[in-house]
Amino acid sequence: MSTERHGPGAAGALAAIAVNTFREAIRDRILYLLLVFSLLLIVASRLLSFMTVGDEEKIVKDLGLSAIAIFGVLTAVFVGVSLVFKEIEKRTLYTLLASPVRRWHFVAGKYLGLMGVLAINLVLMSAALFLLLLVRGGSPWGLAPALVLTLVQLALVTSFAILFSSFTNPILSAVGTLAVYVVGHLSWSFDLLKARLPAGAPRWICDIVHYLLPSLDRLDVKMQAVHGLTLPSGYVLVGIGYGVCYSLAVLVLACLVFERRDFT
Amino acid sequence: MRPLLAIVLAVSGAVGAGFGRAGLDRLGAGQRPAQELLYLPNGKYLRAMSLGHPGLMADLVYLWAIQYYSDYERGDRYRYVEHVFGSVIGELDPHYVDPYWLGAMILVVENHDLEAGLRLLDKGFERNPQSWILPYLAGFECYRVRDYARAAAYMDKAAGVEGAPPLVLRMRAALMARAGDLREALEMWRVVLADPESDSGARAIAERQIRDLKVRIDIADLQAGVERFSAARGHHPSRLEDLVGAGLAVSIPVDPDGRPYRYERLSGRVSSPAGRILGPAPR
Repeated sequence: MSTERHGPGAAGALAAIAVNTFREAIRDRILYLLLVFSLLLIVASRLLSFMTVGDEEKIVKDLGLSAIAIFGVLTAVFVGVSLVFKEIEKRTLYTLLASPVRRWHFVAGKYLGLMGVLAINLVLMSAALFLLLLVRGGSPWGLAPALVLTLVQLALVTSFAILFSSFTNPILSAVGTLAVYVVGHLSWSFDLLKARLPAGAPRWICDIVHYLLPSLDRLDVKMQAVHGLTLPSGYVLVGIGYGVCYSLAVLVLACLVFERRDFT
Repeated sequence: MRPLLAIVLAVSGAVGAGFGRAGLDRLGAGQRPAQELLYLPNGKYLRAMSLGHPGLMADLVYLWAIQYYSDYERGDRYRYVEHVFGSVIGELDPHYVDPYWLGAMILVVENHDLEAGLRLLDKGFERNPQSWILPYLAGFECYRVRDYARAAAYMDKAAGVEGAPPLVLRMRAALMARAGDLREALEMWRVVLADPESDSGARAIAERQIRDLKVRIDIADLQAGVERFSAARGHHPSRLEDLVGAGLAVSIPVDPDGRPYRYERLSGRVSSPAGRILGPAPR
């Protein structure tokens, strides 16, 4: 990765690519997801009053939070993996790289643009969920930590989507990113594995692999938010710090890979 | 392809599929798998499969369980109640209180299995020590079978929960003073229903208990009237309305679904198809 160019020039290039990526995603009618989400919530909440016994609000909250997370991950994966590939296929990347734009500007700008789309999506879907809960006489405010950490999860998943798309085709990138998402949510199973391994090197290796993979399960506090359980002090802040640092590391790796890629 | 031909083919396909589906439903109606619940995995495994959405999966299993247990025609429908509500939903979302009490009420009120119901309520309280309603319900079910010592122990447990409403202590005293009184028990749940501090779970339990107790009280009153009528006249009344004519009842009540109670003239027995936690009884 080049370190020669920083300051307003780099920031300008990053911002231009990010804004362009954002506009492109909006043009791809990505915001139609919001309509689907809102309809799903409204229909589901009406159906629940006929189907459930007891607390309907709990199910609306669960459904809303899970739908926000699932729609977010699907957007991150399927938009993220094609971002770089599309530019190569349409050959617009060559024009772009002929201008004074570094390759890492391109990768980081794409990432920031997609994160902008994901953040706007998440905010709008959360607003729809909050509105529905308020109309039903419920209290949505306790869901905020879960939504913040969902965005952190999306930042992590997006960084992997960009990493994979920097060196392979969209199908393999999507498979790889979804695999990271699945493994990230099963990372608790390393604790079970470690307990069964003999002490010494096998356990160290287990620990290393555990720490290298993203711990998405530790960023999932939906259940605590829905039941109004108190999170340990500073948990959300540490979660944000973990997500930002991890995403940065993956993004740097993506930039390094992309810089070494031969487009001739 | 010509548009008209395409429309004809599409409509034919849709109609054929509709008939086929109806035929499958008709032919398969008698082939209900007897032990389909046996293959429902434990919540621990479902939790791993949910990939970060165990709460939503718990909701889906709970909604499915409500529909499943609303079907009163199933043969061994009580066999896996503890497994479904305690081990599957309870492991997926241990803090979801509704499945514990609903499963317990199905076991106790419908299946008359007090011990299994209490195990489910104990499990729920162990995982949710702030939910006073779970030991309160357990205490009430013990009271209903006249196990007053155990009822008092559960009521004490409910009263010991921080933030439990004062009505818990009040009701414990009232119940113990008038042990076995159904009207006192009905009053107890009316208080829970009216208390603004009761949450949606407590109110849902109270609604079901009130419904069940009303039926029991009505049947006890009507049965007592029939017995007094028989003792005075030497024969059973030909219909329940005769009790009003004989001055033994002001009016004849109907069950919570608005239907008359069953009366068998030959035996003089009054009964009700009620005693069901989920959905109205069949006509």
